[in-house]
Amino acid sequence: MSQGPVRKILLFVDGSEECITAAQYAVVLARTLGAELAALYVVNVSVLNELFKARIFIKMEQMDYEHDLEQDGRRYLNYISELGRAKGVSIETHIEKGVVNEVVVEKARILGADLLAMGELEPIKSRSDAFHDESELILRKAHCSVLVVKDADYIERLYQAME
Amino acid sequence: MRISGLLSEKTISRLTRTDKQGVIEELLDLAMNSGQVHDREEALRAILAREALMSTGLEKGIAVPHAKTRAVSEITMALGVSEGGVDFHSADGKPSYIFFFLLAPENAAGPNVQVLAQIARLTHDRSFCEDLRKAESPAGMLAVINDAE
Repeated sequence: MSQGPVRKILLFVDGSEECITAAQYAVVLARTLGAELAALYVVNVSVLNELFKARIFIKMEQMDYEHDLEQDGRRYLNYISELGRAKGVSIETHIEKGVVNEVVVEKARILGADLLAMGELEPIKSRSDAFHDESELILRKAHCSVLVVKDADYIERLYQAME
Repeated sequence: MRISGLLSEKTISRLTRTDKQGVIEELLDLAMNSGQVHDREEALRAILAREALMSTGLEKGIAVPHAKTRAVSEITMALGVSEGGVDFHSADGKPSYIFFFLLAPENAAGPNVQVLAQIARLTHDRSFCEDLRKAESPAGMLAVINDAE
């Protein structure tokens, strides 16, 4: 394990293009700093419960969507593992269910992560987004430092240049 | 997720049909105006199959007919407002007036859930629903949604 300033990085994976950029940067950082790297995807079951309570979903639909979201999460994590493998970085992957921001913050604590990495926050497009943006809530609630990765072109070059 | 970005004046209308099947077909025709529905029959089959499990007529005059279907490759929406209300076999037994119609591709669970959640949040606001019913044109309805978002 690294004795440097960053020993364990937790990457928050939400399936966005921005989180792929964050994954590339996390791989670069992990290898450069000798840090461990873990990646986490959270199935947002709270929104599925919200839709069930609103009667928009029936139980079968709620379960079907939960399954779909879980499959999506596994696909994203597999892709990110490949990004690490291509650069000789092993990535420990986790998939959890719950309220996204709460699970991410808690998982960072349990894993002993000293850096939480995530993609650039999406622009606030609606008043509702301002209250429901999970990344922003993570940024506010995390107990460790949070790295919000920006500049996809630069990160792509950095990642590709790493042999 | 802004639902106003998924609608246009072409996919919003006052509804003329007053029966459940007719309203579903009218909403589907509105959704066809987006140019994103490749297969009308498949889309109709998916919507009716979902309705057969349980009506998407909610409470307080709202209905959200929705389905996952191979008939679209992008999330596709339509909005219809009925003047006199429709018996949509809703949860509270009352007529439905506002219809958010949603077709989602089979591989877009995340975005589809976000859109439905946004509809649930917006329609929870009584004044939003009243304003939508009062709006006199598709442009007016779109403006109501834009303002709420």
